[in-house]
Amino acid sequence: MTQIIWIVSVVLLLLSQLASATEKVVVLTSYPQEVVTQFEAAFEQAYPQFQLEILWRQSRDAMSYLHQPHGAIDVYWTPAQRNFAVLAKEGAFRKLDIDLNGLPKVIGGFQISDPDGFYVATETAGFGMAYNPGELHRLGLPVPIDWKTLTSPAFSGHIAFPIPSKTGYAPMLVDTLLQGYGWEQGWSILEQVAANASLADAGSAFISDDVGSGRIAVGATIDFFATSAIANGKPLRFAYPEKVGYSPAHIAIFNDAAHLEGARAFANFVLSEQGQKILFHPDIRKLPVRPSVYAHKPDGYFDPFAAAQRASYKYDMASGLARQEVVGALFDALITRHHAALKTMWVTIHQAEQKAPDDPRLKVAHSQANWLPLTLAQVNDNDLQHSFIRRDSHSESIEQQWDADIAKHYAQATQLAQEILGSQK
Amino acid sequence: MKPLYLCSLIATLTLSHPVIADESLITTDDATREAYTQPVPALSETDRPKFFKGRALVRQSWVIPPSENREISGLGPLYNRISCIACHAGNGRGFAPATPQEPMRSMLVRLSIPGTDAHGGPKPHLAYGGQLNENGVPGVPGEGRAEVRYTEQAIKLNGGKQVMLRKPNLTFVDLAYGEFSLDMLTSPRIAPPIFGLGLLQAVSEADIVALVDTPKPKGIKGKVNRVWDVVQQKTVLGRFGWKANMPNLRQQIAGAFVGDMGITSPLFPQENCTEAQIVCQQSPSAGKPELSTEQLDAAEFYHFSLAAPRQRNVENTDVKRGALLFKQAQCAACHVSELKTSNFPSYPTLTRQTIHPYTDLLLHDMGDALADQRPDYLATGREWRTPPLWGIGLAQKVEPRAGFLHDGRARNLLEAVLWHDGEGVEAARAVKDMTVPDRRALLKFLESL
Repeated sequence: MTQIIWIVSVVLLLLSQLASATEKVVVLTSYPQEVVTQFEAAFEQAYPQFQLEILWRQSRDAMSYLHQPHGAIDVYWTPAQRNFAVLAKEGAFRKLDIDLNGLPKVIGGFQISDPDGFYVATETAGFGMAYNPGELHRLGLPVPIDWKTLTSPAFSGHIAFPIPSKTGYAPMLVDTLLQGYGWEQGWSILEQVAANASLADAGSAFISDDVGSGRIAVGATIDFFATSAIANGKPLRFAYPEKVGYSPAHIAIFNDAAHLEGARAFANFVLSEQGQKILFHPDIRKLPVRPSVYAHKPDGYFDPFAAAQRASYKYDMASGLARQEVVGALFDALITRHHAALKTMWVTIHQAEQKAPDDPRLKVAHSQANWLPLTLAQVNDNDLQHSFIRRDSHSESIEQQWDADIAKHYAQATQLAQEILGSQK
Repeated sequence: MKPLYLCSLIATLTLSHPVIADESLITTDDATREAYTQPVPALSETDRPKFFKGRALVRQSWVIPPSENREISGLGPLYNRISCIACHAGNGRGFAPATPQEPMRSMLVRLSIPGTDAHGGPKPHLAYGGQLNENGVPGVPGEGRAEVRYTEQAIKLNGGKQVMLRKPNLTFVDLAYGEFSLDMLTSPRIAPPIFGLGLLQAVSEADIVALVDTPKPKGIKGKVNRVWDVVQQKTVLGRFGWKANMPNLRQQIAGAFVGDMGITSPLFPQENCTEAQIVCQQSPSAGKPELSTEQLDAAEFYHFSLAAPRQRNVENTDVKRGALLFKQAQCAACHVSELKTSNFPSYPTLTRQTIHPYTDLLLHDMGDALADQRPDYLATGREWRTPPLWGIGLAQKVEPRAGFLHDGRARNLLEAVLWHDGEGVEAARAVKDMTVPDRRALLKFLESL
């Protein structure tokens, strides 16, 4: 009997030591703490043999860091699609040799995972409109069903819109709108929505705060800010437009990963049914990329795969990512730096439309208001894109010229609309 | 009339009117998972940006230097977690690991050796300092890990119900800077909630000191801690922390930044490396200090601005009955329901308010059952500050695994009550002996807070 107790004790001791001998896996991310907390707790429970170490860097900082000798990082797991594209091109990743069955590479017309298999989508998020139903009711405004809804003058002063050069998710929001409606019409919608809106930068309160408190009736945003706030009790709703744009996050394993087994385990976990269901957590509310888990989704949860079957459009992710800086700079020129003039212009045009809907000069006013300094072909020019990525003297001089031209066209459009109004007195 | 009955009567009258007009300026009705993140309703439009700036810092995941993002850089060289909310999820309390394999995710271990430092505080260990930092930046070894194992004991309650209480036992593994000496003093602490702290700072020292002499039931005393104020460079009243070892919110915040995340500030400009940690000392810093005065101001302002949740279901029969039982069981002798704030120029909204924190901010001997045997200024190894109970009913809504008591050993409020020993032993006994409906009513009352 004593011998049995002794053997059991030795086995327990060995098991205890085995459990202590954890291998590290180092993951670089820019996910907020709420996301990290849920995944690390679940991963450590599922894989107690690995100790997860999270390093945090914003996307731009991460690229600088990764281009220097940085010690052992095993996994890159973050919403920063362009970083993944650049790093894959540079050969930083190994092909993901894990089971990817049940993980589509596209949602409708959106390519979400690397066709070459170096990085794969782990979740996505959709762009749309957070709104406060009580505030909309109080103001007598309709529930927005599409971006075009927000161009109505009735929404003036009741919208918030993020500035893409200052807010991480906004460049893709803007670009999905430009690709969804086309270059010219997309900018026209953007300008009219922005004319009704206050502009939110990175330092502003979360859109969901302002909408949640009723300070603002509608906020253009990425879904999880709003849907997480809703899940945690805020009196909000979120509307996806008919043509939904998505911003996927990815995972990849570095070529020089020092803890390969741990890295594979973490990637497997994030993509597994269990890992994907974590995205339903009230503090996260991202959209899983494994369609099978939507069978377990909370009531009312958006299913992008189902939505893509109803309506979809082909989004060119490569072009969208390549031109982010140019589009951001153009947004600042057309909207951020001329916001007061833009507002005045569209208010005056809308007044003129009401007073003299058949006046032929309205067409000219619209043409001036919708004038763009760049064509779609020009914005896709490789040299121009690189100039704006570098923020060099060439891009600065271009922006100065844009400012002068935009100010002139806005002034002309406003003057024309005023003339229409004046002739109606 | 005996003092005890007088106190009970006063407390009863207070509880029958738990909400007063001014309280609406400093408390929140929010009872969701975001209950602890709400600003005081009196927060002005002008002050909202500062509140959000402070919130961003508290929510920020910090970056290891060097970094392009200088303003959020400075994590390490040694640290426990990379953000405030990693431990204080939803601004709430942390929890203890369930198994030895589970890392301490919202908990840390204080360390010291017998004796005191130059100011009467705990004497840090020469190699490990005053706190076990489990993580190091690349190239700097983390100090080691604490594993928690539990021994369980059954408590039988009147009515037949049996409750299992678990007592944590720590072992330390992967120690990178040498084995712990036999005289090492260790004290595991879960993260406490961070709302309502401005209101507690606004209570005058005189009022807290006066509570020492307030008549209490036999066996209950209470004393103040006297701790070192690094700004004033003198010993003052301690009021924050599990042992009231911090004098004010600013020092508490700056202490957590440097102690838990290795982020230096104007109050603590030195990185958290001991003399024995050479690689740690040579590790790059993000600035001197890393957290600017302006950032510390914003973080302090945010904490000042966080409202306390208002009591809910006050008209519920069980809650009313539970409130009465709370006093009859002597809980209210330490968990004082009502305090008044004094003049508070740092944040005028908090001035002269009546608050219901359910604490006296005093140290009490909680007996051997809860002792950590690690003195902290005037607090002995058996003494703990009465933790505020306001908002406690929402703790597990905010963080489902939230634990109770200093080391999170209690998994629910009943366990926490039953652990009371020393000056709290009569309260625990009273609850144990209660009828089943009375105990349910008492818990309903606690859940209403």
